[in-house]
Formats: sequence, C-alpha cells, structure tokens
Amino acid sequence: MSLCVNRLTEERKQWRRDHPFGFYAKPHRTPQGVLDLKRWECGIPGKVQTLWEGGLFKLDVTFPDEYPTKPPKCKFVPPLFHPNVYPSGTVCLSILNEEEAWKPAITIKQILLGIQALLDDPNPESPAQAEAYNLFKKDRPAYERRVRQVVKDNPKL
Amino acid sequence: MLSGFDIHVLTQLDIARIVSPALGCLFCCLPPHLIFRGISNPYRHAAISTAATAATAATAATATVQSFLPTLPFLSAIQRSRETFNLGSNFFFVPAHTGLAADTIIFTTPPQTRKRKAAEAAIIDNHSATKDSVAYSQAATGPPPRKSARKTKTVDPEVADPNPATDLTSIVSGVFTVSVEKRSPDLATPTLTSMESDEDFMSVASSADDFLDTQMSDDESLGEDFGDDFDGGFSKDKDIIATARKPYEVEFSVLSPGDIDREQNRQINEVSSILSLPPESAAILLRYGRWNREKLIESYMDHPEETLEEAGLGTNFESEAKTEVVPGFMCDICCEDGDGLETYAMRCGHRFCGDCYRHYLAQKIREEGEAARIECPGDSCHMIVDSKSLGLLVTADLKDRYQTLLTRTYVDNKENLKWCPAPNCEYAVDCSVKQRDLRRIVPTVQCNCRHNFCFGCTLNDHQPAPCQLVKMWLKKCEDDSETANWISANTKECPKCHSTIEKNGGCNHMTCRKCKHEFCWMCMGLWNEHGTSWYNCNRYEEKSGSEARTAQAKSRASLERYLHYYNRYANHEQSAKLDKDLYLKTEKKMTSLQSQSGLSWIEVQFLHTASQALQQCRQTLKWTYAFAYYLARNNLTEIFEVNQKDLELAVENLSEMFEKPVAELANLKVDILDKTAYCNKRRVILLSDTAENLKNGEWSFNADW
Repeated sequence: MSLCVNRLTEERKQWRRDHPFGFYAKPHRTPQGVLDLKRWECGIPGKVQTLWEGGLFKLDVTFPDEYPTKPPKCKFVPPLFHPNVYPSGTVCLSILNEEEAWKPAITIKQILLGIQALLDDPNPESPAQAEAYNLFKKDRPAYERRVRQVVKDNPKL
Repeated sequence: MLSGFDIHVLTQLDIARIVSPALGCLFCCLPPHLIFRGISNPYRHAAISTAATAATAATAATATVQSFLPTLPFLSAIQRSRETFNLGSNFFFVPAHTGLAADTIIFTTPPQTRKRKAAEAAIIDNHSATKDSVAYSQAATGPPPRKSARKTKTVDPEVADPNPATDLTSIVSGVFTVSVEKRSPDLATPTLTSMESDEDFMSVASSADDFLDTQMSDDESLGEDFGDDFDGGFSKDKDIIATARKPYEVEFSVLSPGDIDREQNRQINEVSSILSLPPESAAILLRYGRWNREKLIESYMDHPEETLEEAGLGTNFESEAKTEVVPGFMCDICCEDGDGLETYAMRCGHRFCGDCYRHYLAQKIREEGEAARIECPGDSCHMIVDSKSLGLLVTADLKDRYQTLLTRTYVDNKENLKWCPAPNCEYAVDCSVKQRDLRRIVPTVQCNCRHNFCFGCTLNDHQPAPCQLVKMWLKKCEDDSETANWISANTKECPKCHSTIEKNGGCNHMTCRKCKHEFCWMCMGLWNEHGTSWYNCNRYEEKSGSEARTAQAKSRASLERYLHYYNRYANHEQSAKLDKDLYLKTEKKMTSLQSQSGLSWIEVQFLHTASQALQQCRQTLKWTYAFAYYLARNNLTEIFEVNQKDLELAVENLSEMFEKPVAELANLKVDILDKTAYCNKRRVILLSDTAENLKNGEWSFNADW
C-alpha cells in the first residue's frame, strides 16, 4: 500500500475514533458506491462566540498522490465569502502551502481546525477575493452583515 | 636617542631614508606611493618638527614617542645601514607625518611586523644606496641653517644623479621652508601638484603592506604604482604600462568549488570554536546570519538564546544524533507502528520513522532545491535539519546534492562572491567591488574558464560602459521605444485630432479622415491659409505649422542619433561574430600554413593571438558606442572619440589582414603581430582613459542614471 493511501486509511481510523465537536470528515463515495480515499467531504462549524457561530461550511479536501509530502487542496463548496478564500472556493492558508508552512506531520484534524480559526481571524496580508477583502478593510459593519447572512445560509444541521 | 625625542634628531641619511622613494618612510613604514600621494607630503614628511610647529604637533609628538618606544631593533637597523655607507651624521628629525597621520592610518598588520619588514628592506637595499646616496643642500629660499634642532634640511636622495633637475619648491610650515630637488624621471617625481586628499590615502591604506612586499622583490612595481598615481607623468613608459594593474582593471580571484568549501569550513570551524558550539550548529548559525561573522557573534553574545531560537537551533545541545528503536512508537507521517521501526528525532524531539524522514529530506533537496533551511517535519517546528542529522539519514548522492546547494547559498549570500555565468562553469569569483561603487568602476573579471564578465551585473564584459548605462542601453535597444521613435519620424499627426498619418502619395493637401481637418503636409498649417499656391508650399515660416515641425525635427534628430550609435554597436557585435567564424576557419588556415610554408605550430600561433585581440577589441568598441550615446558633448568626449577612432581604425586594419588568403599570411606575420600589439595598446589606452575619468567623476552624461 502506498504511503498516501496508508496514511489516509490511518487518518480515517483516527478520525472515527475521535474528532473535534461539530466537524465531520469522510471519504467521498462515488455514484458507483466506491470509496475514494483521496477526496474527502468535510464540514467546519463556525467557532462559538464569533460571527461565524451557528454556521456549518462544506469543504472538499483533495489529496495529491504525493500526500503527505505535499499538502491537500481545500475548497469550500459553494465558494465562501471570506477574505482568504479564492473566488473558486480554494482556501489560502500558510499550512496548506507547500512552499510555506506545510509539514508532512500535519493531519486532517489540524487542517480543519486551522481553517476554522481562519474564519474569524482573516489574514489581510494575503487577500484572495476582492469583495470580502474590501469590505473587511473598508466597511467592517457591512462585512459583518454579510457574514451573518452567510451563516444564515449555511446553518448547522 | 629616544629620550631626546623632543629635540627630534636623526641623521640626514635617515632623513633621506625616511622618505626614500624606494622604500617609503622607514619610521612608520608608510610606502612611498602613499607619501607622495599626499597623506603626508614628502617635504612635510621630512620637515623638522620644531617649536613653531610643535605648538600644533605637541600632543601628537608625545603620542609618537610612545608608539616609537618598541621600535629599538628598527632604529639599530638604521644605525647599521649608516655605518655601511660610512656617511657622517648630522641632523635628526621626526617625520612630520608620523604624528599627523597616526590617527588616520589603518594598518592591516601589526606595526612591529611592518617595521621589521622595512628594516630588512633597508639592509637589502644597500646596493642601490650608493646611487641613492644622500646629501643635503640648503634650502635656497629658506632661512640659513643654524646649528640647532630648529633647522630646515633639504632631503635629496639623488645628489649622485648627474643631471638633477632642480626644482625649488617651497613648502611653508610655520617659518620653515624646505626645498627639494626633483628626482630623475626613472622614479616618481614628487611634485606638489600630485598631492591628493587624505581620503585618497585611506582608500589605499590597506594595500600598504602588499606594497612593502612587492617593492622589495620587484623594483619595477614601484614605478607602476607611481604610474597609477601620477597620471600622465610616467604612463609613457611602456614597460610600466605592460606590467601594471591598469586603471580599468579590478582585483579579483577565482575560486573553485573546493576553495569555496574550504573557506566555508574555515569560517564554520572558527565560529564553532569561538562560540563553542558543534560545527554543524555553527554552520546553521552562520547561514542564518548570512555569513556575517562579526554581526552574528555580537548578536549571539548579546542574546544567545534568542539568536539560537531564531536561527532554528534551539538551546538544548545535549542529545547526539542517532537513529533509535522506540517501543510503542507510531510515526505521525505514515502512521506505521511495529517493533523494530527505525526512528529519528532531532533535538526538538519530533520523532518520525527513518523512511519518512528520508523521504521528506529527499523531497526537499531534490524537488525543492532546499538545503540551508530545511525544517523539522513536525508541525510548526522551525528547527533546522543540520548536516549531521542529514548525513545519518540520506544516501551519498543526496549528500552531494545537499553540499552543492549549500555552497550555492553561500555564494549567493556573500556580497563579494559571484558565480561565473558561463554555462557549465563551476567557478565563483571573489571581488571586493561593492554595488555602490558601480557608478565609478566597471569591474570586469575573468573566470578560469576564460569567460570575461562584469562582476557588477554578471553580463558579458561591457567596458567601458558602466552597468547602469548598459542596462539602459539594452532596454532601449530591446523595447519598442524605437518603434515609437520611427512612428514619430516617419509619420505626422493631424494638427487637430492628433491621429497618426503616414503619407503614401498624392498632393500636400491633406484632409484628415477622422476629423475632416484640412492642412498642408509640408508646413502643417491650415490649408485655407495657403490661398492659391496649392501645390507649392511657400509658407514655411508661418507660425501655424512651426511647432509641429520642430517636434518632428527633434524626434527625427534623436532617432538619427540613436541609429548612428546603434548601427556601430550592432556592427561590432556582428563583426565580432564573423571574426569568430573566421577564426574557426583560421584553425584550418593554421594547419595548412604549417604544411605550406613549413612553419611550426608555435610559429602560426600569431593568428590565434590576433583573433583573440580582434574579439576583445570589438567587444570594447561595441560598448564604447553605447557609452558614447549617453555622453554629453564636451572636450573629454572629443578625446574619447579620438581614442575610439584610433582603436577602430587599428581593428579594421587588422581585420582586413586577417582575411587575406593563406598563402599571403605567412608573409604578413610581422605586420599582423605589429597590428595586434597596436590594437591591444590602443584598447588599453582607451579603457584606461575612460576608467580614470569615470573614477574621478569627470564624465558628464546626457541622461540621468
């Protein structure tokens, strides 16, 4: 078994054994009913006592064959209104960047927790979409209104 | 003798010795080129320190006595040499500059060594001393000598010279006047005009020791240095030109990868022993500090823990690097467990299995080309993987690659090192020319692979044009600014709506397609002002079109000017290529020449030399045109153009001969040799002149850079 599949199998085991409250993460099941270990469907809840509380945001995590040498690609479906999320939905985060802080020892759990922390703590140094970034920088009340709307549109189950 | 220092007495021989043009000042070991250069002028140097000057020099003199105390062996050397010459001793003095310059000179070797060297030199130089013999003549314009320490003595090292050109130069220092006789021109003439500021001295002070060394072994080097310092005066002497470091040359050395490794290791070991850290940690520290040793040590001494932390080292130096088997371990990367799994952790304690560690390192080194800053694979751990850990885990070929990458970052981090840009060349060049000096120097260096390049910008040799101008020129030639220039030179704008119009036929009555404006193509004025003279514009002086005309004329002139220089630039580039092709054919010529005319291999090498000279001169010529394009019109520019013309003519002549059929070449050998030498000489003259003016900031340019 390759390093990638081996590691993902193990991560799945660990996740089922224990995972943070409100999150979910499971390998994608193709229409034929086959489990695809390299594509996971995840959900990240908004942190309590933040703007994002009460929302649950769907995230597609795609693992390359080189995983864990290279980081997975994380993409919000549908794309999320957030300064560090590209219009395509892809998340811009240092630990997800091979050239920056990605380390092979980082697990799915750490990634999801990292993205959850990013929701309420955007990094204005690396904007990824104009709309959310501009509002965040120039008109904070309008930004917060939009976030509340986004939370309302993506409620917890 | 020393106790009587306030009387300042030495023998006249010593006076001469002290400012001997052959040796420099024996007191302070200041080499002659520096004395004559102006830090302390030779007369002043030899001037008697007296009560009048003592007022200003008193404090300095006291300091001097202190610093002279340990120089007894040296003084006895002077004494010995005096006995050898059997010359009478009369007057003593203190070299004026020793006190004056004490605070300005930066010596690179301990004064003791310098003095010993000088003392040895004094003995070695005995033979020349006879012709260098010493006497004194009274100051012709000065007050009559009195038998006291307050006496003015003339230093004349060359009375034996049969024809001394006496030049009475008076230097007034307080009430004293010193006269000096001009030396014969085989050595430098200390004239007042050649004196420069002290700053100039500072810039060459560090080479003072080298100078002492060379002058002992090679008398000619003395002249060379003067040749540099006194422009013009001795540059006529071709022997001097031939051996000196020319004004356009810079000092540099070429380092092989082995040299670079050795140098790195030397520095690592040094820091390792100073800070008592293991060498692999010292290496990480040095790389973190970009090899700035002093700054690094300072920062380490001030805050050792922060520095270590920031460098990615951590403060715990306890554990040793080895792989271990840890019971109950599961690797965080591959999730493997199982007994007997080989694991490794650096001092940070993040433990992974050997395979994952290896895989991770291989990925970093091979795929990402990273070496100096590979961090621990653990999440958000910034500890840098050291060479010892790496050596333990990876294969030999990866280790080599790792080492290569490290060397690469070393050279990239050092300001004084640059890789030779030639393809497949693995040498680096060490040159001390700084980025900020590039306005005044064009530092061309030659790698061991024979590639000539500019140390400043690593482009091919572009002397005499400075890097910034080269950049501007290349950009100008490359981008489409010249297209715009063509447009403005060959088209006109509608005076009303400014649409660009190219006239491709027809009469001068233009009607703009766009705005229907009617105007005259000749004078750009309104057509209805033309009245009946429809086909022949005689309204040239009319106001309405004059502005449009001047703008056009300017743009046309500027284009012409550019094209003038560009054509010549491109022509030399092209010709250099052709000459190179020709040379490849010449190789064949040389072979056939050997068989036809019975010349030996060594005898046909002149063709090779000629070809080399052609290439080099064309390269220089090419850039003289780019340089000239930016020069403002003045006398210097005219001199430059004359030099340029001379070189160009010489090159064209040589090039013509070079193309002659093989049969004639053998007869032309002497001519070709002559022309080759001439070309090279013209090139040296052109480059020296340009470089000197550049250094002194004499050029004026028509563009800002």
